[in-house]
Amino acid sequence: MRSRMKHFGINTVIFLMVSCRISAQSTGNRTVAVTLPVVTLIDVEPSSPVTLSYSAPADAGRPVALPSVNMTKWVNYTSAIALGGISRRITASVNQVISGVDIKVQASGASGSGGGTLGIPSAQITLTTAAQTIISGIGGAFTGNGANNGHQLSISLTTNTYANLSARTNTPVIITYTITE
Amino acid sequence: MIYNNSLLNKVFFYKSIISVFLLISCYVKSQRVLTVGGNNWTVAVPSITEAGSNYSGTYESASNQVLLNASVPLLLGNGKITVRYEPNPNWDSSLILQARRTGNGTTACVACTLTGGTSYVMIPLTDVELFRIQATLALASYTNIPVQLQLSGVSVTIPAATYNSRIIFTISAL
Repeated sequence: MRSRMKHFGINTVIFLMVSCRISAQSTGNRTVAVTLPVVTLIDVEPSSPVTLSYSAPADAGRPVALPSVNMTKWVNYTSAIALGGISRRITASVNQVISGVDIKVQASGASGSGGGTLGIPSAQITLTTAAQTIISGIGGAFTGNGANNGHQLSISLTTNTYANLSARTNTPVIITYTITE
Repeated sequence: MIYNNSLLNKVFFYKSIISVFLLISCYVKSQRVLTVGGNNWTVAVPSITEAGSNYSGTYESASNQVLLNASVPLLLGNGKITVRYEPNPNWDSSLILQARRTGNGTTACVACTLTGGTSYVMIPLTDVELFRIQATLALASYTNIPVQLQLSGVSVTIPAATYNSRIIFTISAL
C-alpha cells in the first residue's frame, strides 16, 4: 500500500508538471525574410540624339559660330550598395574626338524626385576616349526617372585649334556614360 | 502497524494537498493558450528594371500568412494578443512591419468575440496589442485566426543584404 501511494504521488506530480508545461504555451512566432540585392542601373533621358552644329558667319572675316549649349539630357540612376560598400561614380567618354573641336560636358546637382545619397558633380570636362568622372560619391540612391529627374547635363562644343577645323557633315560621336565603383 | 498506517495517511494527505496546489497553480499559469501556425514569410521584392526608379516600397503577405489558435478559459473571461518583432539576426529599422487580423477563424462559442486588429498595426520591438478575445459563458477557443503581414519602407537607400526578423505573438491578460 505504501508503495502504491508513493507511486501515486510521484505520478500525479509528474503528470501535473508535464500537463502544466504543455498547456502553458502563451507565445509563438513566425519569421519574415527579405533580400535586397545590389543594384546598378544608369540611363540618359531622353534617348533622342543631340545635334550640335557650327554655323557659318554672316560677315566675312568672322569665325564660324559655336552651337548653343545643349541641356536636354538628364542622367538617371539607381544604386543599391552593400553596407560599407564603395560609393559609385559615373564616367563619360567618347568613341572618337574631332580634330579642332572639344566636346565638353558637365553634370548639375541632382534634382527631381530622387532620394538617398545622390552623387556630387565634377567640374566640366573635355571628353576623350578615356573615361573621366563627371559624378562621384553615389551611395544607395535613386534619381527618379526621365527628364527633370537626376543630373542635368550641359553638353557644349568649343574650338581648340581653329586651323584644324574642317567642313564635315553628320559626324556621329557616341558619348558613353558608365556607372562604376 | 497502526502507527505506520497513520503516517501513511498523513503522507497521502499532504501529497494530495500538494497535488491540488499544483493543479490550481498550473491552471492559473496556463490560463490562456496561444499557438502560432501558418507559414514563415519570404518577401518577394520585384527587381528594378528602370534606372532612376526605387522599389514600390510596400508588400503584403497572403491574407492568411499566419494562423493563430487561441483560447481563453471562461473563468478568466478575456485575453489579448500582442505582437512584436526581434531581429533574427539582422534587420534594418527602416523596414516597417505591420500586421492585421483578416478574419475571425473558427470557434464553437457563439457568444465569444474577437475585437480589434482589423486595420494594420505597426509591429515594434516591444509588445503592442493586436486584438482581444472575450469569453462569455463558455471557453473561448478560436482556431485559424488569419493574420496578414505587411512590409513597407523597402528602398535602395537601405544597404543591400538579406534581412530576417521574428514576429512574436503572445496571449496575456488585458
